[in-house]
Amino acid sequence: MGFLAPLYLALAAAAAVPLLLHLMRRRSGTRVEFPAVRYLQRAEQEHSRHLRLRNLLLMLLRVAAVLLIALAAARPVGRMAGAGHPPTALAVVLDNSLSTGQVVGGRPVLDELKQVAGELLDRASAADRLWLVTADGRVETGSAAALKAAVQAVRPYGGAGRLPDALARAAGLVEGGGLPARQIALLTDGQATSWAGRIALPRVSVVVYAPTGTPAANRAVAGAEARPARWTPRGGVVVRVRAPDSAAYRIALGGRTLARGRVAPGEEELVQAAPSGEGWTAGTVEVDPDELRADDARHFAVWLGRPVPVTVDASAGAFAAPAIATLVQSGRAVAGGQVTVAGADGAARLPALLLAPTDPVRAGAANRNLERLGVPWRFGAVRRGRAAVRGERVDGASASLRYELQAQPGAAADTLATAGGDPWMVAGDGYVLVASPLVPTATDLPVRAGFVPLLGDLLSQRLSSEPGGVLVAAPGQRVRVPAWVTGVEGAGALRPGADGSLTAPAQPGVYFLIRGTARAGALVVNPEPDESVLERLSPSQLRERLGASDVRVATAAPRFVASAFDAAGGRALATPLLAGALLLLVAESLVTRRGQGRA
Amino acid sequence: MVEASRPPRADLVDPASLAALGHVEIVARWIVDGFLTGLHRSPKRGFSVEFAEHRPYQPGDDLRYLDWKIAARADRWVVKQFEEETNLRATIVLDVSRSMMWSGAPTRLTKLAYAERLVAALALLLLRQRDAVGLVRYDDELRTVVPPRARTQHWRRLVAALDDPHGGRASEGPRALDQAARLIRRPGMVVLVSDLLMDVEQMRGAVRALRGVGHDVTVLHIMDPSERDLGSVREAIFVDPETELAVPASAAEVREAYRATVEAAIAEWRALCAATGAAYETVLTDAPFGVPLRRAFAARQRLP
Repeated sequence: MGFLAPLYLALAAAAAVPLLLHLMRRRSGTRVEFPAVRYLQRAEQEHSRHLRLRNLLLMLLRVAAVLLIALAAARPVGRMAGAGHPPTALAVVLDNSLSTGQVVGGRPVLDELKQVAGELLDRASAADRLWLVTADGRVETGSAAALKAAVQAVRPYGGAGRLPDALARAAGLVEGGGLPARQIALLTDGQATSWAGRIALPRVSVVVYAPTGTPAANRAVAGAEARPARWTPRGGVVVRVRAPDSAAYRIALGGRTLARGRVAPGEEELVQAAPSGEGWTAGTVEVDPDELRADDARHFAVWLGRPVPVTVDASAGAFAAPAIATLVQSGRAVAGGQVTVAGADGAARLPALLLAPTDPVRAGAANRNLERLGVPWRFGAVRRGRAAVRGERVDGASASLRYELQAQPGAAADTLATAGGDPWMVAGDGYVLVASPLVPTATDLPVRAGFVPLLGDLLSQRLSSEPGGVLVAAPGQRVRVPAWVTGVEGAGALRPGADGSLTAPAQPGVYFLIRGTARAGALVVNPEPDESVLERLSPSQLRERLGASDVRVATAAPRFVASAFDAAGGRALATPLLAGALLLLVAESLVTRRGQGRA
Repeated sequence: MVEASRPPRADLVDPASLAALGHVEIVARWIVDGFLTGLHRSPKRGFSVEFAEHRPYQPGDDLRYLDWKIAARADRWVVKQFEEETNLRATIVLDVSRSMMWSGAPTRLTKLAYAERLVAALALLLLRQRDAVGLVRYDDELRTVVPPRARTQHWRRLVAALDDPHGGRASEGPRALDQAARLIRRPGMVVLVSDLLMDVEQMRGAVRALRGVGHDVTVLHIMDPSERDLGSVREAIFVDPETELAVPASAAEVREAYRATVEAAIAEWRALCAATGAAYETVLTDAPFGVPLRRAFAARQRLP
């Protein structure tokens, strides 16, 4: 048995009052003249034993009543037969991840979890402290009725959510709830991919409801990606599906069907297309619907436009011109003067791909030209020695001669690649600056197979008239966005924060990034591919994953509901103690009245 | 309507209220007047010294009682009828010990004040019956001894004797009863008015002796209501004013046992009286005077 307010146990000292009164009762100093004292003396002599027993009984009844009241004031909690539970800080963690939208046994798993959560909240008392924490990070608190309404309002989340974070949050809430009985009631579909590791909850008791039932084989779009993100105008869509067998798919772009096909599970299919249209466009890859509808489509975004007109300056070196010619031949670029590929010391205007000078003595001229062009970077000291280059599409390359790139005050640029930990390729408004000249003596990038595609991407993605790009995120994921993003179309008032990042919307889809008033990129939100893997953990596996002080996993709702609010292993004993004290006082009154007769 | 306007009978009103209206003598007269108003006159009409009424002469009537004066003046034959006279000799034995000077509540008479008014009323009632009435007052000694007389003026002497000194620390009841027996030479009536806070066995012998010589004995046991149920006192040391015996007790705790003891004591006194052929009545000091008076008078009426 424990006490919620142990300080009140000090009231038990009041039990000494009837004890002292009993011991001092014959020491009263009041003298009363009474002629019939002989009868009184005779009564005491004849009934002495009865009177002693009665006085002792009265004293015991009074002491016991005071002790019971003191115990009740200390709000004891103990295990006793009967209904009720101690005041409990209980957090209901409701897994509303995408996988709970699957229909099992004729209804979505989430509906079953909500129903059971409602039954659990019906057992709450006014003395409990309650919270509702969902896998998507939502936290509600209030009365049981309010939380029941909140539970009913929960909808399936667009992604996996963060169940471990929700559990940690719930643990923090119940530990700070001010009640010794702390419990987390977790309702989950037990999806294995949600439990990557062990979750430590050392100071709380956890009861888990994980319904039984075998999920049907799921068919989902596992991948939908436009390659490249800018089609000028040709490009491709990579399709992957997760299915027990080959699945038919449909690619839609801008609301119109772009292609249909069939793909085997686990295989990647690239569907080439050259659609008409210009600008940023949303697309989807869909498969036939099944029991989990939320992963039957996956979104992608693509920029549609004409090939970039490009010219190569002689200062760009011997490798740039053939590469550009290859792009022109493949239709991804055309000869023209819109974009220049040149050495930093020779470029006349932007947009341009600016390369470091081959001769270090030209570094000063290059810096002066950069200043003239308004590029906020300068070439610093020459670094020699082989350094690995890290970045998208450049992994594996190395640089043996490079300049230190020095950012000027106010420089807002993206670092596309680094060498030896230092910026090696940076991009900004209308320029891409490379810290090494594109010659084999400075870097092996020009002789690598990825050089031409990289050059094409730089031209189309970074140096065309509409800069921007595609960001991919899961629902609710924190995403760092380019500095030029001023808004997000389709996401209401979503804006980048002071740290240059924003939280991806909860619902999957394509949200266009706005620069000024025009679309300049896209944020593609798709559920985590693992969320489509519906295999569940067994109760014992779930128990192992939860590192709590007391974990009970129930697969039946009644057992789960019964095990909730049982964290302290008992219930509040104040009411029965007060009832006992009342009975003792009634008994004391009866004994007293009987002693007084009908006086 | 006539009944509603009639003043209340003094023998039926609250004794304390009645006592507040006047001296013992006056109060006793009111009591007796009220008592006689409610009493049926004796159907026995005899030829005694107290004239009652005339009735027509009938053949066979004793000519000694023929009223010759009426016969001479009005030529009408009537005989005189008289109240019956028994010539009873009664002695009232009153306990005036210190225990009798106690009252359980300020609104009640002390046992002695109550008993004095009762004695005065009883004496007056007996004297009006042409009985001879005497008085013995006692505490730890005999304080007053008034031999029985039947004269009407004797009542004033009895009432005056009630004011004699008293207040001793003990009750010498047996001795007082012996004295009463000596005062009445032929069988008569002895009324003991006491709170009976004395030894039962000693009294047994005295009552038996009185009965042995043919006296009719009536015991009026005067009790304050608080002596029956211990009153409203709570935790205290109870002290006997006569013996200084002190008993600490909580009234709430011993009340039930005390009541049982008092009832047992009353039963003992009742059994003693029954065994010796004496009448016994408990009289509470909050009861109207008519109640004990009627009981004592009933004992008188049973006598020849």
